[in-house]
Amino acid sequence: MSFVPEKQVFKSSIDVLEIGTGETSVKLGGQSVWPLYAFDGPLVNPPRVGIQISDLGCAGAIAGIQDYYADCADIAAQTIRAAEVPGAEFVCLILEGADPNGADRSVAETVELVKTVAAACPLPLTIAGCGSAEKDAELFEALAEELEGRNVLFLSATEDNYKALGAAVVLAWGQKLAAESAVDINLAKQLNLLLGQIGVPNSALAMNVGCAVAGYGFEYVASTMERVKITALGQNDAALQIPIITPVGTDAWTVKESMAEEADFPEWGSREERGISFEVATAAACLAAGADAVLLRHPESVSTIATLIGLLTEGGE
Amino acid sequence: MGKFIVIGERIHFISPVIREAMLARDPGPVLQRAREQLAAGATYLDVNIGPAERDGEDLMKWAVQVLQDEFDNVPLCLDTVNQKAIEAGISVYNRAKGKPIINSADAGERISNVDLAAANDAIVIALCSKAGVPVDNDERMTYCQELLEHGMELGMEPEDMWFDPLFLVIKGMQEKLPDVLEAIRMLTDMGLNTTGGLSNISNGMPPHIRPIMDASMVAMAMQSGLSSVIINPCDQRMMETVKSCDVIRGNILYADSYLEI
Repeated sequence: MSFVPEKQVFKSSIDVLEIGTGETSVKLGGQSVWPLYAFDGPLVNPPRVGIQISDLGCAGAIAGIQDYYADCADIAAQTIRAAEVPGAEFVCLILEGADPNGADRSVAETVELVKTVAAACPLPLTIAGCGSAEKDAELFEALAEELEGRNVLFLSATEDNYKALGAAVVLAWGQKLAAESAVDINLAKQLNLLLGQIGVPNSALAMNVGCAVAGYGFEYVASTMERVKITALGQNDAALQIPIITPVGTDAWTVKESMAEEADFPEWGSREERGISFEVATAAACLAAGADAVLLRHPESVSTIATLIGLLTEGGE
Repeated sequence: MGKFIVIGERIHFISPVIREAMLARDPGPVLQRAREQLAAGATYLDVNIGPAERDGEDLMKWAVQVLQDEFDNVPLCLDTVNQKAIEAGISVYNRAKGKPIINSADAGERISNVDLAAANDAIVIALCSKAGVPVDNDERMTYCQELLEHGMELGMEPEDMWFDPLFLVIKGMQEKLPDVLEAIRMLTDMGLNTTGGLSNISNGMPPHIRPIMDASMVAMAMQSGLSSVIINPCDQRMMETVKSCDVIRGNILYADSYLEI
């Protein structure tokens, strides 16, 4: 008698979030099985990969990334180039330049810049804020209106600005919103509940439950993601049946191992290879723990993770 | 252990408003009480149509359809001694949100309600009693065993038999309450589900005392393993206690708004 493995399919499922429109639109979530357990049941949608670019261009990026975008004259050209990376299914524009503690670009200037990116972008667009809850609320309100009909995902609403963003981004302009919590499953659930209480449906939401790089407290991230899925599927908790999107690239390039120059640590070898390794390792671990989409910066990381997802979910050579 | 299940008890033939509405087939008051109980956090609604000797079949069908149509196939607990009425109710019952519950069987004359549940793939509430109140837990567990064996012979899954230890009234039988909690623990340790009409414990107490006593009892009973209860979910203190205990038991993930869902 041959061994027949037991399949674990839950009665509940993760809600589906759609971003973008038309043929290139991308759907996240939908599964009734543990992350990547395609052998138990259909994933409905495989995990997705987005490529991150900055409104400040490539300034400060490592050589490999600068090389990839070297022939891009402006942000529009860079957007198109990013969308060409094999495996990239959507683009994530980070509004670093609007940071009040940095370049502090005005809302009006940023809107103009984003219009250029949106016009050039052939893939669904997601927009990440500058990190200031107050400024992000202003930016996202203006951008949600400007980009009406593009079905853009905005990252992220926090405890401090969820009311304004839920009302403007989703309810007024029909865009999508990610709720951000920092490795705190109770807050993750609470934010979703609060957004639900002001009328934002699950189908308009993603969650960024936090990220950390391997070796920098990643076990807390993994545990949080796993518990989110256990609660969502195992306890049928609707407040957590929302796809997880994780901006891995934002963190992966900020740790010592991906920052230190080879000249200072010759025994560590190429900085670029190290950075890609950290980005890929962290992204793969996030997918295993429950992320429904990852945002990555280096073109090679994007392609590697997209290939990995393809092999895990569809098989092949 | 799954999430604690609250069965709302407020659609009861003994209430003049409900009796009148049922006799006149006026959905208004029935739906109103259903809405309030669901908003307060009930999962199942008990539908007690009284003895219903004359038109029980028609009345139970009417109640099941009126409630399931209005509230997205809300799962129901069919409560009457009229077995034909229960069968009629099940014949129109939609199982999308959960099996029907038959309320109730005991180890005595009403053991045939176990047969009824087995024949209709329903859940049955099984009272650990035969004639009157069991003297001690040896007697309770004997009845439990009789009911369980009977149900399993008929092909029922043990999880579809929800055992009622009998929540005895404190005023008059105070010394029996530790037995009730111990019985819940023993039933739970056997892997069985438990339920019961908990507010009986505070019968005869002043109205302001009853919610305090009921909430304390439900907390202790949940600690003993109680998996379900038949109560008035509009009792705020009761529902706050149930939800808080279910957070502590790990059945609900905590969020600051947990009392509002």
